[in-house]
Amino acid sequence: MYGWIWRRLPGPMAVRVLTALLLVAGVIALLMFVVFPWIEPKLPFNQVTTQ
Amino acid sequence: MRTLDHSDPASGPVGPGQRPRRADPVRTFLRVTGELFITAGLVILLFVVYEVYVTDLVSAGKQRDATAALDDRWKSPEPVDPADPERVERFEGLTEGAGFAKMHIPVFGADYSFTILEGTTEKTLEIGPGHYLDTAYPGEPGNFAVAGHRVGKGAPFNDIDLLDSCDAIVVETRYRWFVYRVLPKADEVAGWATGKGTDPRCGDVAPLGAPYERVVGQEIVSPLRGEVIAPVPHRLDAQVNPSAQARLMTLTTCHPRFSDRQRLVVHAVLVREWAKDPANPGETPPELKETS
Repeated sequence: MYGWIWRRLPGPMAVRVLTALLLVAGVIALLMFVVFPWIEPKLPFNQVTTQ
Repeated sequence: MRTLDHSDPASGPVGPGQRPRRADPVRTFLRVTGELFITAGLVILLFVVYEVYVTDLVSAGKQRDATAALDDRWKSPEPVDPADPERVERFEGLTEGAGFAKMHIPVFGADYSFTILEGTTEKTLEIGPGHYLDTAYPGEPGNFAVAGHRVGKGAPFNDIDLLDSCDAIVVETRYRWFVYRVLPKADEVAGWATGKGTDPRCGDVAPLGAPYERVVGQEIVSPLRGEVIAPVPHRLDAQVNPSAQARLMTLTTCHPRFSDRQRLVVHAVLVREWAKDPANPGETPPELKETS
């Protein structure tokens, strides 16, 4: 999977490394700012009130 | 049976510039599966980092804003009713998420201070400790009940399991300071008068009489036990005239840490009240110095 992505990155090595880092950063940002805040209230970690 | 060498074309000599040979489907499948597992592990690790650290940063900013807004409101002059010029607290009409008081726990350090907001929705608790709607307000008879996070989101109630009986919880409102002290714990009630009760800080703290006999300094309950925040905790049936009710404060958070299986509950009782002196706005009650 990662090899497949790597082989499809265009340009010389330096550009590929940079693109790969950007992709990783993008995925982390997506997780941190969209996915985790959305999923967090649905998980049983942090309910502090009584009913 | 063919040897591995023959089944795997990769083992043949690969010259420079030669294209990688046709992929073996089993090998591809295993590799992709493995990569997915590793990715899943990394995502879960990242989630832990998010939950424990990133939410702290986000919440710290929101708590700072809430505190600044509250300070602004307290500084701005309130229209004085000529018929009632007294400096009385008004809590009615608070909207969800509005800050209205600050809580200080001196034993957690002089800088332990959080703005308490109205309501206990997920969004409010992200900003700071939240006041359960329809429970008493600071200083009122009844039960001033507050929920707070224990992991991430600023974790205001991270250490409330460490609160000892008689430790002060100081609640600051616009015009007043309310000093609550943690009630005797279950194992201290019996020998209170000769045991912990002799501590100078415990002067005004004693096990409460009926119908409060089940209210102790700390308890761990199921999340369904909503009666811990009742005006008379554990006694939904108790008919106590509102003005005769004890003035309690209750903190709730999750227990054990990182789990929502149970709730950790701390009960405290109002022991003293100080009016803020308008001529001397920087004055703080002596209880705030009990930092050890």
